[in-house]
Amino acid sequence: MKIVVPLKQVPDLVEDLEVDASGKALDTDDIKFKLNEFDDHALEEAILLKESGAADEVVAMAIDSDGADKMLFTAIAKGADKAVKLTGGNPSDSHQLGKAFANALETEGYDMVFTGVQSVDDRDGQLGPIVASYLGAPCVSVVSGVSVSGGTAVVHKEYSGGMMGEFEVDMPAVLGIQAAKKAPRYAPVSKIRQVQETASIEEVSMGDLGGGSGSNVASMAPPAKGSGAKMLDDVEDLIEVLKDKGVI
Amino acid sequence: MGDILVITEHLKGEFQDITFEMLGKAKELAGASGGQCVAVTFGSMNGKAGELGVADSVISVGGSDDFNPESYAAAVQSVVSAKSPSLVMVGSTSMGMDIANSVATALELPTVSYCMNMSASGSGFSCTSSLYGGKMNVVTDVAGSAVAMILAGAFNADAGKSPGSPSVEDFSADSGAGKVRFKQLIEPEAADVDITQSEILVAVGRGIGSKDDIELAEELAEVLDADLACSRPLVDAGWMSKAHQVGKSGMKVKPKVYIALGISGAPEHIEGMKSSSTIIAINSDKNAPIFDVAHYGMAEDLFDVVEELVEELED
Amino acid sequence: MLSPNEQIAFILLVIICGALAFQGFNRIFKTVKSGANADRSDNLIGRFITALIDVFLQKPIAKARPIVSMFHSFIFFGFSFYLLVNVNDILEAFVPGWTTIGSDNIFANLFNVFADIFSVFVLVGMVFFLYRRFVQKPKVMEFNANVKLHPGVSAGGLKKDSLIVGIFILIHVGSRWLGTAMHLAENGHTDSWLPTASIMSGMFSNWSHASLETGIHVTWWLAMGLIVMFLPYFPRSKHIHLMIAPVNLALGRRTARGAMDGITNSASPGSKTLSDLPWPQVLDSWACIMCTRCHEVCPAHESGTPLSPSALEINKRYFINEQGNGLFNGAGKTSLLEYAISEDAMWACTTCYACVEVCPVGNEPMMDILELRRNQVFDAKMPDELADVLRSLDEQGNSFNESARRRSKWSKKLDFKLKDATKEPVKYLWYVGDFASFNQNCQDTTRKVAEVLTAAGVDFGIMGKKEKSAGNDVRRVGEEGLFDVLAEQNIETIEKCEFEEIFTTDPHTFNSLKNEYPERGGNYPVKHYSTLLLELIKNGDIELKKKLDIKATYHDPCYLGRYNGIYDDPRDVMKLCGIDLVEMPRNKENSFCCGAGGGQIWLPDHDDMTQRPSENRIEEAVAVGVNNFTVACPKDMTMYADAAKTSGNEDTMAVKDIIDFVLEAMDLPEEKLTGLQDEQDN
Repeated sequence: MKIVVPLKQVPDLVEDLEVDASGKALDTDDIKFKLNEFDDHALEEAILLKESGAADEVVAMAIDSDGADKMLFTAIAKGADKAVKLTGGNPSDSHQLGKAFANALETEGYDMVFTGVQSVDDRDGQLGPIVASYLGAPCVSVVSGVSVSGGTAVVHKEYSGGMMGEFEVDMPAVLGIQAAKKAPRYAPVSKIRQVQETASIEEVSMGDLGGGSGSNVASMAPPAKGSGAKMLDDVEDLIEVLKDKGVI
Repeated sequence: MGDILVITEHLKGEFQDITFEMLGKAKELAGASGGQCVAVTFGSMNGKAGELGVADSVISVGGSDDFNPESYAAAVQSVVSAKSPSLVMVGSTSMGMDIANSVATALELPTVSYCMNMSASGSGFSCTSSLYGGKMNVVTDVAGSAVAMILAGAFNADAGKSPGSPSVEDFSADSGAGKVRFKQLIEPEAADVDITQSEILVAVGRGIGSKDDIELAEELAEVLDADLACSRPLVDAGWMSKAHQVGKSGMKVKPKVYIALGISGAPEHIEGMKSSSTIIAINSDKNAPIFDVAHYGMAEDLFDVVEELVEELED
Repeated sequence: MLSPNEQIAFILLVIICGALAFQGFNRIFKTVKSGANADRSDNLIGRFITALIDVFLQKPIAKARPIVSMFHSFIFFGFSFYLLVNVNDILEAFVPGWTTIGSDNIFANLFNVFADIFSVFVLVGMVFFLYRRFVQKPKVMEFNANVKLHPGVSAGGLKKDSLIVGIFILIHVGSRWLGTAMHLAENGHTDSWLPTASIMSGMFSNWSHASLETGIHVTWWLAMGLIVMFLPYFPRSKHIHLMIAPVNLALGRRTARGAMDGITNSASPGSKTLSDLPWPQVLDSWACIMCTRCHEVCPAHESGTPLSPSALEINKRYFINEQGNGLFNGAGKTSLLEYAISEDAMWACTTCYACVEVCPVGNEPMMDILELRRNQVFDAKMPDELADVLRSLDEQGNSFNESARRRSKWSKKLDFKLKDATKEPVKYLWYVGDFASFNQNCQDTTRKVAEVLTAAGVDFGIMGKKEKSAGNDVRRVGEEGLFDVLAEQNIETIEKCEFEEIFTTDPHTFNSLKNEYPERGGNYPVKHYSTLLLELIKNGDIELKKKLDIKATYHDPCYLGRYNGIYDDPRDVMKLCGIDLVEMPRNKENSFCCGAGGGQIWLPDHDDMTQRPSENRIEEAVAVGVNNFTVACPKDMTMYADAAKTSGNEDTMAVKDIIDFVLEAMDLPEEKLTGLQDEQDN
């Protein structure tokens, strides 16, 4: 079984985020980007399935960008068999991103597509179901447990309150991964460097990106501080508040 | 101006709060634009149409009572194709995501995620989404049909709860290709604690740093006679069990006092605790989004504060 | 004096035992040779001469346990002399009429008196050691219950080895001594050149000539036969340290302590098995005398964790002995983590270097641990907490999961601006480091350093958000690749600056910049700030107006003291400030680690930890009667500030940085201190 994992970079939320001059987008000048943590879970789940023998090939896929090579080599260092980079375009939103991946997936072929359930910047929809729709493949998202038998996957979809729905999905299919069975593994830099020397990334054209989401950002701004919390100076004040609310 | 379609959400035979939250808002928006507020129900939930009094009418697509991403999305797609609403409101929830994205992509409709606010704007709508872990609000203007995923707790559920008898239309909808099949509902493991019933919660987030240090929060919980809760990353890392998870895919809690330690305040977490009567947040980052929703806050190192607090209270 | 049959028998014994011994030595040679490459061939003659002199002066062993070391020197000198004695004994056996007893020759007499006295020395020494191991049984010779031990060790192998060696020596020396006494009895008179033997000869005064002759032969065979029979046992016993220790010391590491070895095999860095270890570390297994001096000074073992550097070396030897030739037929592929040291223990090391410093035979157990870590980390096997920290270092260049852009936020509280060394030339480039920048316990100290230097008119600047962690501890947890990346990026940033010297308040940073960056192309003059402060005080840039009448003790940071030999500069600074310096028992190269190094500050305490090393150290300070504990390292500051609280000494022990004293002694006018007013009032 072949699992393809589309990977995406997002701004590192540890940064102080600011709006750029246009007032509609993030100022990305000075901030660091990192792999979308849910994509990391998707990759981890795929590799775990390979390690258990349920899958025999894991392919990491990413759009060409500044950190794409490192992200793909890291995926290989973690256990992916192959990395594919999509070039020749600049997807501007989830729909164009989804179309790019869908084009590549059609050429690459797949039994399963695992992608992170959401990302911090997917304003116009979540990648998993979007890709599935372009591919005409079934999709279940918010998945936190995958097992495979024959041509079917059994997945656990998370609902609120700790409840889960168990589904059977015929392959080929797309899953939006919420959490892998284990926390995503660390890829030692020495290993990544070794991979950089021995492995190569396949480049593929991303093809026609389509019209995109059909909606545009009117403005972006940090949430109004306005009311916000009453900031306390020290623990004495905190104790007063707790007393006031009847906690102590 | 077309109608506003509200895709209802139900679990184990009961409509979820998100349904009423969306109905209330939809009614308000429809009123302003002169369209109708139409609720879409699945399976045998049409039997409870009486709870959806806020809606002007109800479309029942029938089908299974159990949520199935494929068949539910197919059904909604049929309805949207047929009715051409000006807006489709779906919950930004586990169930809603599968439906919203599938329908919008197939029908090439604009999609907006994580809506925390909406208003009519010109011939369309203006949606405010919470992105980047709650650090940025983005406004999108959509004209023509659009699919908006609404954050749980963004709108008031009470505004959408009104008994009544909207007309119910039976709609013969597509049921999908049958490649996704529901097997069973899995209840969470019996937990030692039901935090949805707790009066006081001490919640820990990534700021706690390590599994060991949760001990400090436990001390505080003990001294306050509170229960322990946490954000999703701690459950993913195996530091705490799911029974303690607060958030979108965890528990929704409304304690008297919610003390958030080292929690940044991402929307998925806020969803689970914003109904708390008093929220006290301690986070060394004074710009953390949690301070927007908290009533009281301290931008200090949580270890210093909690250590001192426990010491003072133990005397 | 031996009969021809006896002579033949002896020669046969020598041949057989010699051959067996040769096999044993050959196996040692083969095993050591199977280790990974290491170049210790520089200045071989000088190395050996130095080692032999050191051994002769008993310097390595005298580093610790003075009384025990004295008794050891009894045995050492005695046994060394016995080489000559044994030669004499063989001459006596094979050359008719050869004897030194009753001779007029002055050399013979000198030989006799030394042989006589040294015999007693050795016997006394040996009795002491047997008493120590079997009767006194000091706790320090025990391993923590959770330490991984080879089954042979748990079954009492160490005691058995000591007993065998002890009894052998007692019999070898004892019978020779008695033999001499019998000789004297035979001669019918005492000899003032053989004082103690003369006394003993009284015991045999009424023995017949025949009995005495028999006695002399018997004692000869007991002495000489035993030592020949002992030859094959040597390679299996710690007793072989007589031969291996001087070699181990001679071929020891001569490169800077603070420079880790590079990676030899980039496809599989570090060590997994015995033969992956560099050969000097394989040799360590035989040099080890199982004295436990190393785990006595190890902060990890002292605090109850499963790490014992002593057990590590002992387990290696026991495994090698157990496997025999099987070592070369597959058993050698067994991971060290299966028999020598547990994973837990490997991760508990603080890399304080105390074990290497104290070892009397030149062993380096810490190096084994560092190699093991490299190998584990390459396969991403590490505690989860460590993975998170490494991710943070990779993504943001600091271990605090804070945005790199906030690195110089600490300086915003100052009411003057600091120069950006990446934009304008400065005299001193201040490499601030992670902890001094981000840790809230350390930021006050960092600000005070800025205050002092500014008030002294020093031209300095910082690199701000472009500075990343220097990577010292990244390297020591085994992530060599990440260390390479950090070093590359830091050197790139430093190269953009114009400066004369670099200084830093962090000894870990200091260590890496000084010892490891040069081979990566970053060769800069680096100072620890205590050296800079001393210079500035001496040349008058820093004016000390007030003499502080305070009693304080000073804690030597591992990476400043043991690793880089800087003990006096911080002390001189303190004394110039008028501090009455009181030393703790464990000072200078014997300083006791705070427990933060080697990544420990990023890891949770081991479940079995009984008391944190830092708390232990605070108690040591309390015991010398001071109320001020002085540090010169940001990690020490945060560890000890915490330990003072958790050990219940918060009100009696103030933790200060040397800069606190300098600032106070400068007695600056009020308006210069506005930036710090808030901190001082807290």
